[in-house]
Amino acid sequence: MTDTNDNAGTDRKIVTFSLAQQTFGIDMRALIEIREWDEPTPLPNVPGFIKGVTNLRGNVIPVVGLAERLGWEPSVIHARSCVLVVNIAGKQAGFLVDEVNDIVAIGETEIQPAPEVETIEPSVIAGLVRIATRQKDGTRDEKGTMVLLLDLDALSLTKHLDLAA
Amino acid sequence: MSDELDEIQAIFFEECAEGLTTAEQGLSAMQGGDVSAEVIAGVFRAVHSIKGGAGAFGHADLTAFAHKFENVLDEVRGGKIPPSPGVVKVMLSAFDILTDHVESAKGLAPRPADEAALAALEQVLANKGADDGAPVASAPAPAAPVVAEAPAAPAAEEADEYGFLPMAVSLDDFDAPAEAPAAADAAWIVTFKPSRAALANAGEPLLIIRELETLGAEIVAVDTGTVPSLRDLDPEDAYFTWTLRVPGEVTEGDINDCFDFVAPDSVVEVRRDETPAPAAAPVAEAPAADTGADEFGFVPVSAPIEDFAAEMQRVVETIAAASPPVGSVETPAIAPKAGGDAAQQTIRVDLGKLDLLLNLVGELVIRNSILADRLSPADRQRVELPELARLTRQIQDNVMSLRAQPIKQAFSRVPRMLRDLSVETGKTINLETYGETTEVDKGVIEKIGDPLTHMIRNAADHGLESAEERIAAGKDPAGTIKLSAEQRGARIFVRVQDNGRGINRERVKAKAIEKGIISPDAVLSNEEIDQLICAPGFSTAETISNISGRGVGMDVVRSNVEALGGRVEIHSVPGEGTTFTMILPLTLAILDGMIVRLAGQRFVLPLAHVLETVQPEAGQVKRTSPDSEVIDMRGEYVPVKRATEIFGLNDDRAVEDSLVVIVESEAHGKVGLVVDTIDDRREVVIKSLDQNLHPIRGLGGATILGDGSIALILDIEALVASTNRYTPKGMAA
Repeated sequence: MTDTNDNAGTDRKIVTFSLAQQTFGIDMRALIEIREWDEPTPLPNVPGFIKGVTNLRGNVIPVVGLAERLGWEPSVIHARSCVLVVNIAGKQAGFLVDEVNDIVAIGETEIQPAPEVETIEPSVIAGLVRIATRQKDGTRDEKGTMVLLLDLDALSLTKHLDLAA
Repeated sequence: MSDELDEIQAIFFEECAEGLTTAEQGLSAMQGGDVSAEVIAGVFRAVHSIKGGAGAFGHADLTAFAHKFENVLDEVRGGKIPPSPGVVKVMLSAFDILTDHVESAKGLAPRPADEAALAALEQVLANKGADDGAPVASAPAPAAPVVAEAPAAPAAEEADEYGFLPMAVSLDDFDAPAEAPAAADAAWIVTFKPSRAALANAGEPLLIIRELETLGAEIVAVDTGTVPSLRDLDPEDAYFTWTLRVPGEVTEGDINDCFDFVAPDSVVEVRRDETPAPAAAPVAEAPAADTGADEFGFVPVSAPIEDFAAEMQRVVETIAAASPPVGSVETPAIAPKAGGDAAQQTIRVDLGKLDLLLNLVGELVIRNSILADRLSPADRQRVELPELARLTRQIQDNVMSLRAQPIKQAFSRVPRMLRDLSVETGKTINLETYGETTEVDKGVIEKIGDPLTHMIRNAADHGLESAEERIAAGKDPAGTIKLSAEQRGARIFVRVQDNGRGINRERVKAKAIEKGIISPDAVLSNEEIDQLICAPGFSTAETISNISGRGVGMDVVRSNVEALGGRVEIHSVPGEGTTFTMILPLTLAILDGMIVRLAGQRFVLPLAHVLETVQPEAGQVKRTSPDSEVIDMRGEYVPVKRATEIFGLNDDRAVEDSLVVIVESEAHGKVGLVVDTIDDRREVVIKSLDQNLHPIRGLGGATILGDGSIALILDIEALVASTNRYTPKGMAA
């Protein structure tokens, strides 16, 4: 909100990252930290997208292959792969992403709804928003990029437990 | 002063809680048929102490009710009222009201409606527990002979010995001739010299004097002769000796009650001011020898006053359980456990502080092993490190034990609830409890109260059939609910099991379809249907009863248990009953574990389950079917499981290159687990997987090893129970 140079109605900050050649965004408020990729301890009997668990300062947190979770091809681990540690309804989880890009402010009004998709589960895309991407020289590319905003609550790892209800 | 009083009062309420627990246990035992003198005396003592304390703090309602209750108990203890099931039932209801009164005295509840319970107690007193309800009470004069002839009542002599004083109004029918006016007028002279340490032990003499004053006492004299000069005076010490005059109508028991909580070395003397008129014949004939043994007993007024006073002093001072010649009675050993001692022994601590301490200690343990791993082997053997490790462990054990409480605390409210439910539903319900001493984290105990209530209600209301239905089904008309708790690895299992009709799956499914919870063409397994009763808004009760049937109960159970990081399992056999199991995590615990490798990955095997380890020779492990193997252990064939297969890990290692760890499981006996190697043996801190993920079958949690990496903890019971490759099951996960 201090960033008054941007569009009016700015009231959210999002972290953008790339995954499977797309740009995704999550709400900044949910982000706890960004970590380098470190091979987690694999878990038995869990869905394939849960890569395992890792030690976050004494807490055991699950690491999720976000690409698989969203139905894309699994990420290939490379030097810039990193893990976004987020807080979803009081539970912590790490999301493996290909590369973290930027932190940008967006206005609530700029968010457009995502198209309805035939899927078994509710959509994890909360909306679409266009942002100006930052160039190497610091100027902004006015053409912009589409960001897929993720609904973190829908990505909750314990969500499927509630389906029995 | 008022702060101090509040503190002392808080101790009183703690003692009340203890007393109520003791009383309830005793009454339950009596209900179960154990009417031994010890049990009855235990209940009596508990109620008596509550009454005494309540009087000292001015809780008039509580005192009055406890007094009436105590009267009945005293009669039962004296053998004058037989502890028949009917009488025990009245006492149990009275106990419930007493509990309510204590809550009310704490200011947590309104004053309970105790009229019915008082009337019932009165009735028992009046009828001497005779179930025919003969109107003995209305005719005081002939009462004594009637009682003497009643088969249930003990011998008349005994009745005399332990009967009430002549001036006791409530029971004057016992010795009507003793209504001689002279006896009633003799005033009491009470001498009270508190122990020097009375004030330090919270035995404020003022409270006792005030208490005596409410009985009409007046201070006659205060002996200040023992007060030292100002220089030597210790303001914390008590020096005065009081002499008080108490009106003769007050019973000796009431006077002595005032001194229930004085320190043991206080001097208390209670005696008559003047020689009372000789009592009437029947009383005087009583065998008077050991009357002093019973604090509330009848004191033969013809006995010399000196004897009596000396005897009383002996009783009050020693307060030991002198065993009276008439075997059925025990002196109420009102342990002079001064409230002050308890105050010094307990301290209230904010749970948040304990949590923080616990987390810090957990970190300390992990750092300790990291340090050990970094040091060279030679340094590791030096004395400092093992010493540090030992100290760390001790700190951790102690911090853990600070939070651990027996689950009894959560179970304690169940008996009463079932009594209420029994009345509301008209069903006879027996309760069996197991594993009450299982220690569980305090936070868990606090949070399982509601789920437990719902599960018990559900079992009593829906699970158990009516007596007629049960008889028709060839069952015992009384239903049974079993409540049990046990710890298995990192989990606590709390079970509520009824032997009722079981879940009617057809009806559950129909109802779920009707309520739109599942689609009409859904194909569900039995387990999935059972799980439906935990769905929000689900209720199959034909009519909405007061007890359950609002369709929130089991939903609440599930969400509460899940909020704790646990899960609910339902097992039902039609016609035989339903078992609800709450599987709860221990928030943080340590485990003695063996670090093993499975397909190269490190796991922790809880050492408590391990019997032995063998390196199998060629041919020692044999297949009994394409999917199952056994190992020949000195002639005993023990089934072998490959954890790697169960977990779906790739492992083509030959069994001869592996180790077989023989573990003992509760449900399946000895089982051999195939592991690659054993790395180490160490204590690990259990980190719950549920905290950030969800429970995984076969795993009891995770731990952080010295190098900061994570090892998963194996849940032996779940591992050996899985017949084959484990298939993840979303619903019951």
